[in-house]
This record gives sequence, C-alpha cells and structure tokens, in this order.
Amino acid sequence: MSKTLNLALAEAKLVFWSMKRYMLDTLAAIGIMFLIFMGMFWGVKTIGGSGVTGESLDDMLVGYVLWMSAMFCMQSTGSEITTESQRGTLEQLYLSPLGAHRVLFFRALMNMVFNFFFVTVLLYLSMAATGRWLSVNLPFLYAMVLLSTLSLVGISFMLGGISLIHKRIQALGGILSFGLIGLMLLPTYPMNACSFLPFIAGAALVRNTIVSGDSYPLWWYGFVAANSAFYLLAGLMIFKVFERRAMKLNKMGQY
Amino acid sequence: MSEHCINVNGLVKTYGDLTAVNRISFQVNHGEILGILGPNGSGKTTTIKSILGLIRFDEGSISVHGLDAVRNRRKLLERTGAVLEGARNTYWYLSPRENLAYFAGSRGVSSGEATERADKLLKSLDLWDVADKEMRQFSAGMKQKCAIACAFIHDPDLLLLDEPTLGLDVAISRQLRAWLREMVNESGKTILITSHNMDFIESVCDRVLVMRKGEIVSHETVASLKKKFAGKYFSITLKNSPTDALISHLSELGGLSTEGNRLTLELASLDHLGSMVKALDDSRCGIEDFRTVENDLEDIFLNIIGDGEGNHEQNS
Repeated sequence: MSKTLNLALAEAKLVFWSMKRYMLDTLAAIGIMFLIFMGMFWGVKTIGGSGVTGESLDDMLVGYVLWMSAMFCMQSTGSEITTESQRGTLEQLYLSPLGAHRVLFFRALMNMVFNFFFVTVLLYLSMAATGRWLSVNLPFLYAMVLLSTLSLVGISFMLGGISLIHKRIQALGGILSFGLIGLMLLPTYPMNACSFLPFIAGAALVRNTIVSGDSYPLWWYGFVAANSAFYLLAGLMIFKVFERRAMKLNKMGQY
Repeated sequence: MSEHCINVNGLVKTYGDLTAVNRISFQVNHGEILGILGPNGSGKTTTIKSILGLIRFDEGSISVHGLDAVRNRRKLLERTGAVLEGARNTYWYLSPRENLAYFAGSRGVSSGEATERADKLLKSLDLWDVADKEMRQFSAGMKQKCAIACAFIHDPDLLLLDEPTLGLDVAISRQLRAWLREMVNESGKTILITSHNMDFIESVCDRVLVMRKGEIVSHETVASLKKKFAGKYFSITLKNSPTDALISHLSELGGLSTEGNRLTLELASLDHLGSMVKALDDSRCGIEDFRTVENDLEDIFLNIIGDGEGNHEQNS
C-alpha cells in the first residue's frame, strides 16, 4: 500500500513539475478554452435573442465545463503513451515493479486533479464574464465529475492500448471527444439504453442537479458509479490485451 | 541464493520470418559484469528486453535470482534496473534530482529514502553541481550518467545496460567504467552490458559473450579470449620492396595485407611461425622492423564474427 502511495505522490510531482515547466502553455490552454466558451456564449445569445433563457445559458456553461473535463480525461492515457513513446521514456514506465497500468492510472488521476483546478478557474472566469452566477457546490461537482469521468479514463486506457501498437491516435481521440457533445444531449433518466453509455448518465446528473436543481434517487448514484467502474475495468482489460500484443511485436519502445 | 543471477535457457524470439534470437543459453553469475558484443541485428537488445519482460519471447526460459522472469516479473523488477538503447530513459525537461525523485517513487521508494540515495548517486557520478539544472542543456554523457543513476535509485542487485557508452566522450566513458566496477566490487551488483565499444567492454567486463545473427558464437572470459588469439599477428617493415615470391609464400601462411614495404600478417596457425621466418630470410628483402601485434578485443570480435577478414587494421 505504501509503495502505491509513493507512486501516486511521484505522479503528482511529475504532473506538477510538467505544468510548472510549461506554465505558459498551460495558461494559453485556459485562455483558449475561455475564448471558445465566450464565442459560443455570445453566439447563442445573439442568434437565439430573447428565446434564450437563463437556464439554457446555465446549462451551456455547465455542459461546456463537463465536456472540457470529459475531453481531457478521454484523451489522457492515449496521449500520455504517445508522448512517453516520443520522449523515449515509455519503456522505463514498464520497468516499474508496480506495473505500467498503475503508473498510467495514477498519472491520469493526478492529471484529472490538476485539471479540476483549471476547470474551476475556467468556470469562475466564465461566470464572471457572462454575469450568470451559478450556486456551484464545488465538492459535489468534483465528486460527481470524478465519479462519472472515471468511465472515460477507462475509454482512454482502450485508446492507450491502441496507441501502444499504432502510436498516433490523436485523431481517433478527437473524433470520440467531439462525439461526446452529441451523446451528452441524450436522455439517460429514467433508465434506458443510452444510460449504459459511458459518462453521459453521470454528466446529465451533474448538469440537471446544478442547473435545474433536480434530485435523483440514491440508487441512481450507484448506477453512475457502476457504469464508471464497468468502463474503467473494461478499459484496463483491453489495455492489457494490447499491451501483450505490443510486447509480442516489440512495439513498446518504438515510435 | 540461486547459483546464477541470470539463467537464459534456449531463448527463441522471432518476428515473422526473422529469427532475432535462436536458442541461446547463457548464465550470468552473481557479482560479475558480463558483456554482450555483436553487430547490429545480432539479437543483443532482444535478449536484454526479453530478460526485462519488455518482449514476449517464443520459446525457452529465463530465470533471474532463481525465479521465472515471466511469472515473477514485478517481483524481479524490484531488484532490477535498466538503461535502454535508443531511448532517453529520463525526462529531459526535469533536473537530475527531479528525475531521481520521480523514478524512485515510480518504483515504490519512499521520498525520504529516495533523497538519501539520490544525494549519494549525484555525488558519486559527479552530477552534484548540476543536480537542479534542466537536463535538456546537458551533454550526452551527463544525460547518460543521469539515466544510470535513475536505474540505480531503487538499489537493484541487477543492472542491464544496453549500449551505455553510445555517444560518450572518452573522459565520461572512463569515469563510468570505474564507477561500474566499483559498484560490482563494493556493492556486489551484477551487471549485464551490451556495447559496440570494445575498449569499454574489455576494461569493465569479466566475461564476454559474442552474438551473431541471433546466436552465441563465443562465450569466454576476456583474458581467455585474448589468449586464444594472442601472438598470431605480426607487423613487418622490410628494407626493400617485397618480392612476388615472398608475398605469395606469406599469403599461403595466413591473411596478409601490404602497404609499401610494410606487411601485416595474421598466421592461420602458430605452427607456421618457422615458415614465416624462413620465407622472410630467403627473400633477402632485409628486415627493418619486426613486431608481434597485441590483439585488442575489436580484432578478436571481428575475427569471431567473421566480418573482419583481411580488411581490419592491426594496432601496433
């Protein structure tokens, strides 16, 4: 257990050092995300005119933040593997006695934690710029986003597995990320086929609770957690299958 | 403790039609440095990666410290460090100290223990003054030293170094060989090294294994290898140009190369020594200088793999 904790701390340090080294890039990313949101916000307001209600703008704000978090989580492991492979450090991760999947899982988790911080900055910047102040329960928001985005970490492990063999998969990750925008509009409650897709049941729960003040039965939270656990485990299993294939083909150290 | 640190038995690895490693078997004893020599594509890296479990081999078995390397991979990685060829092995945007802290944590070492070990490694590898500088600015040698320090941060018993001297200058290469020898002599580490640098292998290794086309063609101590090939090379400078008869006669005794009045001869057997002296005497060309050429490992290596016949230079 203490070894796993040491690994988690090492990953937290690495993510922090990376962000510190590339601070300008980090700030530029937040700036771009903010500008995109403002462009969307004013676009919707201008085109929609008086038909656009305050609630739909709130929905857009929360939806955008959720989508940003989701996009980031979905691409995390795949892009980490591509970057590590390009840097020539991927095989060293595979020399960890704790297992590369654990190293990459904690890397994804620590990236998520740091991402939450930036998303919070983005959320407050957006609220200040639009003048629409949501009553955001941050601990609830973080807990629920973490719970639901874990399913996307699973998807990112699937993509990561593919990237072990095919190396560049950013385009596939990009397509899936944009596909999420459409999926997030699907109804998930009461339970239907769409509820079993990754992330969107959790995303709808967060959005509707914060924006509309909806409440859900306790079992629904359990369902969201089970959905995340399923996709996370499936992602890890698929990753291991690709990993074995990459080791068979000696693709681990190549880019 | 098992008899051998590493025991490779009948290892086979193929990629489609290509056999990278073909039924090789060898052992590495505890507390020794074994060098693997071989030209590109001879299977050195495949062997190292198979031991580390980075490649899944097709046939054979590998045990490390008496444990099956496939079934007990994670357990063995706790006691194994490696620097791989063609990879950076470290994060160049971080400092050596940050790299050491990260790799210690990723191997499950606590922060306190890691700091203590990092300080020792930074000092012993002469990286102390640059410990907090970004590695991107470093020379290839300093980067390599840092990669080796990171491989040692969890205090492994076994270290696998794939081409550790690639791109290093003479001074750092010398420092590294002394440091590695010290690790073996004082801390009882076991090291497996692949390298193209014969000088490095010769000075640091206890035994050498030569590979060619996925097979082991020689497996001996450096001393016995040198003894085997000793005394067969001669450099002769004549007073006059060599006659056709002399060249023809000497060519029958072994590999001969000529450059003006200077002849270099590799006798096929030391039994031909008398014939060589007689041929030189009979030719009446006069001898200005005659010396036995000491073989270095490079000559021996070329001789073993059979690529150097007649076209490698002799050191005098």
